[in-house]
Amino acid sequence: MPQLRMTGRGLWITVLIVPPLAFVALFIVYPIFSAFAYAFFDWQGLRRGDFIGMENFHAVLFVEPYRSWTLNAFKNNVVVFFALMVLQNGLGFLLAYALWRELPGARFHRIAVFLPVVLSTIIVAYLFKLFLHPLFGVVNISLRGLGLGELAQPWLGQSNTALWSLIVAQAWHMVGFPTLVFLAGMQRIPGEILDAVRMETESEWVKITKIVWPLVAPSATIVFTLLFVGAFNWFELPYIMAGLDGSPFGSTDVLGLYFYRTAFGNVSSGQQNFGLGSALAVLIFIFIALVATVITVRLRAREIQL
Amino acid sequence: MAQLSLRGIKKSFRNVDVLHGIDLEIGDREFVVFVGPSGCGKSTLLRLIAGLDPMSGGDFLLNGKRMNDVPPSRRGIAMVFQSYALYPHMDVYENMAFGARLMGLDKAEVEARIAEAARMLRLEPLLLRKPRELSGGQRQRVAIGRALVRKPQVFLLDEPLSNLDAALRSDVRLEIARLHRQIGGTMIYVTHDQVEAMTLADKIVVMNAGRIEQVGSPRDLYETPANTFVATFIGSPRMTLVDVKCEGGRLVLPEGGSVHVGALPQVSELKLGLRSDAVKLDREAGGEGFAGQVVYTEYLGDNAYVYVRLADGTLLAARTGPDDLFEPDHMVTVSVEPGSVHLFSAEDGRRLVP
Repeated sequence: MPQLRMTGRGLWITVLIVPPLAFVALFIVYPIFSAFAYAFFDWQGLRRGDFIGMENFHAVLFVEPYRSWTLNAFKNNVVVFFALMVLQNGLGFLLAYALWRELPGARFHRIAVFLPVVLSTIIVAYLFKLFLHPLFGVVNISLRGLGLGELAQPWLGQSNTALWSLIVAQAWHMVGFPTLVFLAGMQRIPGEILDAVRMETESEWVKITKIVWPLVAPSATIVFTLLFVGAFNWFELPYIMAGLDGSPFGSTDVLGLYFYRTAFGNVSSGQQNFGLGSALAVLIFIFIALVATVITVRLRAREIQL
Repeated sequence: MAQLSLRGIKKSFRNVDVLHGIDLEIGDREFVVFVGPSGCGKSTLLRLIAGLDPMSGGDFLLNGKRMNDVPPSRRGIAMVFQSYALYPHMDVYENMAFGARLMGLDKAEVEARIAEAARMLRLEPLLLRKPRELSGGQRQRVAIGRALVRKPQVFLLDEPLSNLDAALRSDVRLEIARLHRQIGGTMIYVTHDQVEAMTLADKIVVMNAGRIEQVGSPRDLYETPANTFVATFIGSPRMTLVDVKCEGGRLVLPEGGSVHVGALPQVSELKLGLRSDAVKLDREAGGEGFAGQVVYTEYLGDNAYVYVRLADGTLLAARTGPDDLFEPDHMVTVSVEPGSVHLFSAEDGRRLVP
C-alpha cells in the first residue's frame, strides 16, 4: 500500500512545483496544442469555421502566392542560419581562442565581447537601424569621411544588402554567447596537453584544427543547436529593422515574420488567417524539432570525454 | 649525439626569482635526474630545456648550438608529462603517429617506428584504444611511446611515476631503466623521490631553492654529500645531524657524552652527520658514546630502525637487526663507527675534510 499521506517535505515540493507547472501548461503547452488544432480548421476572422483536414497545410506549401512566400522566407532563414554559423559561431571560436591565449587586453575584451549579449534585442536592432540610416547613419557618414563615399548606400533599403545588414547586426549582438561557451570549453583542456602539442608542432593551425577544435566540440553541440533554433525562429530583429513585410520586396522576410503576418494580419496586407498561420507555425515547429534532434544526436555521438 | 650545456640559466616569474643561474653539463647517453623538494625549480628547469617557457637569462646549448630561441618542436627533444597528456580524442596509434607525421616522415616510416615502439613497450594489443580505456600504467607507456617514435636526441620525463600506485611504480622504474639501455638516448628525469633518483641515475642533480646543491653519481652523493642539505635529502631514513663541540680530539655533546671519530678539522664546533648504519646501540647506559633514550622502533622485517632522543633533543635513527628490540624510554649508549661519519661546518653546512 503506497504512502499517500502528505509529509511536510512533500507539501513544500507540491507548493513549489504546482504553480509554475500550471503556468507552463496554461501558457505554453495549451497554446501549442491549440495551434495544432487551429491548423485543421477554416477560419473567418476570429470565428472558427469547418474542419478542413490538411487543406491549410496544402495551401501554404503548394498554392500560390503562399507557396512562393513560404519558399522565399524559408530560403532567407537558411541563408541566415549558414551566415550566422560562419559569422557568429566562427568568429566566436576565433575570439574565444584569442581570449584564451591571453593576448594583450584579454581581460577587457572578455567583458566587451559579452556585453552586447546582455542588451535587449530591441535596443540593438534600433541602434543598428540608426547606424545604417542612409543619410545620417554612422556607417555612411564614416564611409564618406574616409573618402569611400561611393560605398555609402541605403543598407536596409535595397534587396541585395538588407538581409546581410540584419545578419551582421545579429552576429554583433550574439557573438559573445558562442565565445563564452567555446572559451569555457577551451579552459577545460588540461595545460599539459597543450604543452604536449607544442613539443610536436608550432603551427597554430594544426593546434586549432587537430587538438583544440576536437576537444571543444562538446561545447559546439549546444551552440550549433541553439543557433539553428534561433535562426529559424528569428523574429524581433528583422521585425524592428525591416518591418513585418520583410521589406524591401520580401528580401528580409523570414518564417517568423511571415507566420505573424499571416496569422495576425498587417496594416499593408489587411488579410488575417488563423488557419494558414497555425499551419505555418506547426510546420516550423516540426521542422525545428526534427532537425534540432538530429543535430543534437549526431553531434553528441562525437563528443569526447577529457 | 646529444651534449647539453646549461650556462647561467635564470628564470623569474614577474619579480620572483625561481632559478638563480644554473650551470650544468650533460653528456651524451647520460641518465640525469633532477631531484629536490617541491618548489626547488626542477620542473621549471625542465620546461626551460624543453622550450615551453622562455628563459630570463643564460644560454642553453644543444650540441654546441644555442637553443634559446628555437621553438620546442624543433629542438629534437621529446617530453613525457606527469599527467601523460595523451590526446583524449585519438587512439593509441594516432597519439603516437601525430607527432611523427608532423615531422614530415613518410607513411611507411611512421608505421615502422610505431611498430617498433609498440613492440618495445608491449602496446600492440592497445593500439586501437582511446586513452580513457587504458590503465595508468598503460597510459604511461603510451606517453613514452609517443616520445620514442620521434627519435629525439633528448628525452625529458617530468615526474613520470607520480600518478602510479606504489606496486606499479617499481615496475615502470625498471622499464624506464631498461629502455634507456636499449635506445641509449640522453634522458633527463625530474622527481622529488630520492629512491627513483638513486636507482635510475647516472648523474643526480640535487636542487634546492633555485640552485644546484650538488651534482654527482648516486654513490658520490651518498658517500660524500657536499653539504647538510644533500646529506639529509639523500638516503632513507634521513641522516641525523648532531651539533657538537670539538674538545681534545673528541666530539662532545654538552651533558650528553662524547665520541671519538679520528682526525678532526681545526674548528671548535661542527655538525656531525650520522647515517643509521654508522651508529651502534648499547643497552648499557653510561658507556663510551652519546647517551640517549629510545623513543620508538620501526620494524621492517629484514631489519629495524630505532629512534633515539639525544641529550640536546636531536632524534637519531639507528639501524638494528630485526630481533634487536629496544623498549621505549629505555636508556642506551650510542657509539659511532669512526670511518663512516660525515662532518659539516656549523656555520654554512658545507662538508669539512680533516
